[in-house]
Amino acid sequence: MLEVRDFTKYYGDLCAVENLSFDIDEGEFVTLLGPSGCGKSTTLHAIAGLVEPTDGQILLRGEDVTDLPPEKRNIGMAFQSTALFPHMTVRENIAFGLKMHGHDSTAVEERVEESLELVDMPDHGEHKPGELSGGQQQRVSLARALAYEPDILLLDEPLTGLDRVLREEMRGWLNRIQKEVGVTTLYVTHDQEDALSMSDTVIVLNDGHSEQIDSPERIYESPASPFVAEFVGKSTRFSGPVSREGDRAVVNNHNKAITVEGTGVEDGDDATLYVRPEDIEVSRTAEGTENEITGRVVNVANLGNRAEVTVELTDGNEALAHTNRFPDIDVGDDVHLRFDPERVIAL
Amino acid sequence: MSTSRPTVDGVAGSIGELLEGRITNSHLALFGLGFVGVFFILPILLLVPESIAFGTGEPLQAYRRATRGIYVDAFVRSFLYGIVTTAVTLALAYLISYFMAFGTNRVRLTMTLVIVPLWIAYIVRYFGILLFLSPAGPFADLTGIEPSLLFTTPAVIIGLSNVYLPFAVLPIYNSLNAIDGELISASRVLGASQWRTLVSVVFPLSLPGLVAAGLIVFILAAGSFLGPAVLGGPNQTMIANEIAGAFLNNFNIRFASALAVIYSILLVGTLLVFNTVFDLREVLGNI
Repeated sequence: MLEVRDFTKYYGDLCAVENLSFDIDEGEFVTLLGPSGCGKSTTLHAIAGLVEPTDGQILLRGEDVTDLPPEKRNIGMAFQSTALFPHMTVRENIAFGLKMHGHDSTAVEERVEESLELVDMPDHGEHKPGELSGGQQQRVSLARALAYEPDILLLDEPLTGLDRVLREEMRGWLNRIQKEVGVTTLYVTHDQEDALSMSDTVIVLNDGHSEQIDSPERIYESPASPFVAEFVGKSTRFSGPVSREGDRAVVNNHNKAITVEGTGVEDGDDATLYVRPEDIEVSRTAEGTENEITGRVVNVANLGNRAEVTVELTDGNEALAHTNRFPDIDVGDDVHLRFDPERVIAL
Repeated sequence: MSTSRPTVDGVAGSIGELLEGRITNSHLALFGLGFVGVFFILPILLLVPESIAFGTGEPLQAYRRATRGIYVDAFVRSFLYGIVTTAVTLALAYLISYFMAFGTNRVRLTMTLVIVPLWIAYIVRYFGILLFLSPAGPFADLTGIEPSLLFTTPAVIIGLSNVYLPFAVLPIYNSLNAIDGELISASRVLGASQWRTLVSVVFPLSLPGLVAAGLIVFILAAGSFLGPAVLGGPNQTMIANEIAGAFLNNFNIRFASALAVIYSILLVGTLLVFNTVFDLREVLGNI
């Protein structure tokens, strides 16, 4: 459906994106995830035709659209600012794209009504965007982008301005609409929860190149690089030289030797290990098992459904572990941390 | 040895301390409103009794005289020149403002070029145009072309549009510059060409600035005195020239006052009509 081939964009001497390539299949929900300045917005704008690539090609339905202006591409887009026209009513906003796509007035009216139904706002047609709440504005923005059945829907951080509760609600809602309409979607965000919860495929961007293109599960469970491991989800990091023992490897960390189950690390390598906080068990008693390290609790953050416990290890580094809610652990306690060799991510 | 000199900060600080707590917002408003009241409203109101011949058989004789043909012509001309100048100025100002808002990175340079003429006295600028258009001036000497525009209506309109252009550029540029770039992007992605985006999105959103600019230019142009005096002939006399003539040449204060009162009423009337069409509060509130 969409093919991006060796897309490169320079702003003067500054390289925003370098040789980025990826494909999106019909109906797929793909997320470009990365920190601000990683080039994700530039990529999205280039696909929309709002940014001219320095090099590379963009193909939509097999047709090279690289040199086409935005209005010739049949793309739907929702912006972070919503970009609803403030001088038009909700109805006029949605009708604008339909008219520009050459629909006659009866078709426009019908489609506007259907679009308002789709986003659960059938009674808001006569309102001006300024009279709506942030969440409602985003829904209208989506209705406007979908009304003329674009080949692809581009979403530029549409949930960023919303508060947490609304954001979580909108995620589920957006996902439902996307599946219902079946529109191919490219979503740009710096929020890993957005990316993991909604996408079929996540593209992690760093400094203008892709670090990993994979399913959310693989991105989280098997990150391809230290950047992905550190950017997506929290984790505790260990590093040290590797010595292999059969199908296991032992990494000699300052704290203790850490055993890793069958991985790609080789004898003599310097390995970086990551352990997710939910894979670390915190206990007051030692059991003498593999991968048991000791430390002192420096912070306990109760988050309601769980607690995040920060432990200072003997070498001064910190480890992060999740426990059951409101654990019987206090700052200053000496604790033992345990984790399964199978749950260690080795890079 | 250390000496303590009074600094600007120090002086401002001690004045601030002195005034601290004694000045409220209503005091501040009083200064501004007081100035306007004493030097604007009061003098205008004084024109009304001045224009009426109390104790004579015909108290409104000055007003009857003002209905004569040449004065009616001057009123009509003032409004027509005002309208034409406004149209020409808005068109030019819109082009310049659009260029500054969307077409260049050198906004400050362009803005300076627009603003600098404001530092030069009107009379100097009108004389420059006078020389430029003069059949015996340097332009004619250099090119051999003898422009025949001088002392005609187009000469006055050129002069007025030129002089009032900066007053139109500022509000129009402000409103264009305030348009969120994502709205323009959205319009393009929704299928509108650049031209269509200008017509359907950019222009409507710049209307407040355009209306404000139109008001300012119209009021300035319709009341102008120097432009027609320098660049126009006897057939380009506007109402300000008639008022000045009655007052300064003929010392007819009563008649000059009557003309001024009529002009003020016509102008306020025009603004009221304008207000019902455009709702100035909404328009100016958006700037």
